[in-house]
Amino acid sequence: MERQIINKKKRVFSVEPNKIPPSEVFTRKYTSLLVPALKKLNMNKNSSQVNQLTVKHEVDMALALSAQEFAWSRFLLQKLSSSNNPTTTTSSSSSGIRIQERSGKEGGHEDGEIEEKLRELQKLLPGGEEMNVEEMLGEIGNYIKCLELQTIALKSIVQDTT
Amino acid sequence: MFIRTWPHDGREELKRVESYLGNNNDELQSFRHYETIDGCISRTSSFQIEQVKNNEENRVIALQHKRKTEGKTEKIENKKKKKIKTEDETESSMKGKSNMSNSETSSEIQKRDYIHVRARRGEATDRHSLAERARREKLSKKMKCLQDIVPGCNKVTGKAGMLDEIINYVQSLQQQVEFLSMKLSVLNPELEYHINELSTKQFQACFTDLPEAVSKQLMMVDASSFPLQHQESLDYSVINSIQTTTLGSKDQTSSGWEIHSQSLYNNLRTDSVSSFFSLE
Repeated sequence: MERQIINKKKRVFSVEPNKIPPSEVFTRKYTSLLVPALKKLNMNKNSSQVNQLTVKHEVDMALALSAQEFAWSRFLLQKLSSSNNPTTTTSSSSSGIRIQERSGKEGGHEDGEIEEKLRELQKLLPGGEEMNVEEMLGEIGNYIKCLELQTIALKSIVQDTT
Repeated sequence: MFIRTWPHDGREELKRVESYLGNNNDELQSFRHYETIDGCISRTSSFQIEQVKNNEENRVIALQHKRKTEGKTEKIENKKKKKIKTEDETESSMKGKSNMSNSETSSEIQKRDYIHVRARRGEATDRHSLAERARREKLSKKMKCLQDIVPGCNKVTGKAGMLDEIINYVQSLQQQVEFLSMKLSVLNPELEYHINELSTKQFQACFTDLPEAVSKQLMMVDASSFPLQHQESLDYSVINSIQTTTLGSKDQTSSGWEIHSQSLYNNLRTDSVSSFFSLE
C-alpha cells in the first residue's frame, strides 16, 4: 500500500516536476499524512478508546506537517508536541463573542478597535502573537488557504465512509 | 557635530527619510513615536539630526548612509521609486521650509539610496508621517490580498470591517475543521475498510484524474449540515464544477478528467494565493 503511494508520487514528480500547483501539493501531502495516521489510530487502539481529541490531534498534526514552508506551521508543531491536547480552536468560540460585544461598545477610537481586532487575529493564528503585524497578515492568508484545503480533504474523507 | 549616533539595527529607512528631508526642528520631538512603529525600530529616539545647513554636509551624510545600507536599499529602492521632482514640488508647497535647496541638490545622490514615499499635496512630509505612511501602505497592500482570499470582503469597506470578516472566516473554518474531526472520530471504527479504498482514490484524484467516487462524494456534501455563512465560495464552487463535469461526462477519458480536476483546484487558487504559497 505504502509502496503504491510512493510509486505514484514518484511518477508524478518525474513527469511534471514544476507544474504541480501548490494547493494540490498541500492536499496530497495532507491526505497522505492523515489517512495512514487515522489507520494507525484505529489499529493501535480499540474503537472504544478513539476519542475526539486524538483525532483532532492527528488532524492538526497533518495540517502542520503538510504546510512546513510557512511560519505558523512551526508554531503549530510546537504546540502539538508540547501538549497532548490540541489548543488551536478552543479560543475560537469565546473570541467570537468578545468581538461582538466590543464592536457594540466602542464608538470612537477607531485605531484602537483595529488594534484589538488585529490582536484577535493574532490569537487565531498559531504563533501569531510572536509575529509582528505585517508578517502576521501575510501568514494569515496562507493559513486560511490551508484551512480551506484541509476542510475539503476532511469532508471527502468523511463522505467516503458514510 | 551634526550627527550624533548612527543606529545600526532596526529599520534603516527612517535614517534615510530623515536625512532626505534635511532638517526640521519639530521632528526631534517626534522621534519618540518611532519606537512604536512596527515594533522593530530600535533606538531611533537617540538619533538626532540637527540643522543641516548646507549641501555639502548633506552629501556627506548621504554617502555615509549609502555605505551602510546599500544592500538593503537597492531592493527597497526598486520597490518604491517615485519621481523626485514631484516630491520637491510638494515640498515647496509646504510652508516655511528652509531646507529646500538642500533637499533639491542632495536628492540626486539620495535617489539611489532612499525609500521614496510620495508626499501628496497638503500632506505632512516630516519623517514621522512619511514612515508612518510607508507602513500604512504596506499594511493596506496586505489587506487587499486578504480581501481576495476571504469571500465577502469586497462588500465591506474599511479596515475594521474587513478585519471582522477575516476573523469570522478564520473562526468558521476552524470550527468546520473541529466539526469534521469530531465526525471522523465518531466514524473512525468504520474507517478501516473505507480508508483502503479512500487512499487510493484520493491519491488518484490528486495525481492524475478525478475518479467518480470522489466526485460523487463532493456532490453529496450536504451544505445544510454546515450552517455557516462563509461556506458558499468554498463548497458551491467546488460542487458546481464537479457537477458540471460529472453530469455530462461519465464516460470521459482520463484526459477529460484531468482538465476538470484542474478546474477544481483553480477554484481554490487565485493569483493572490499563489503569491502566498510562494516562499517569501
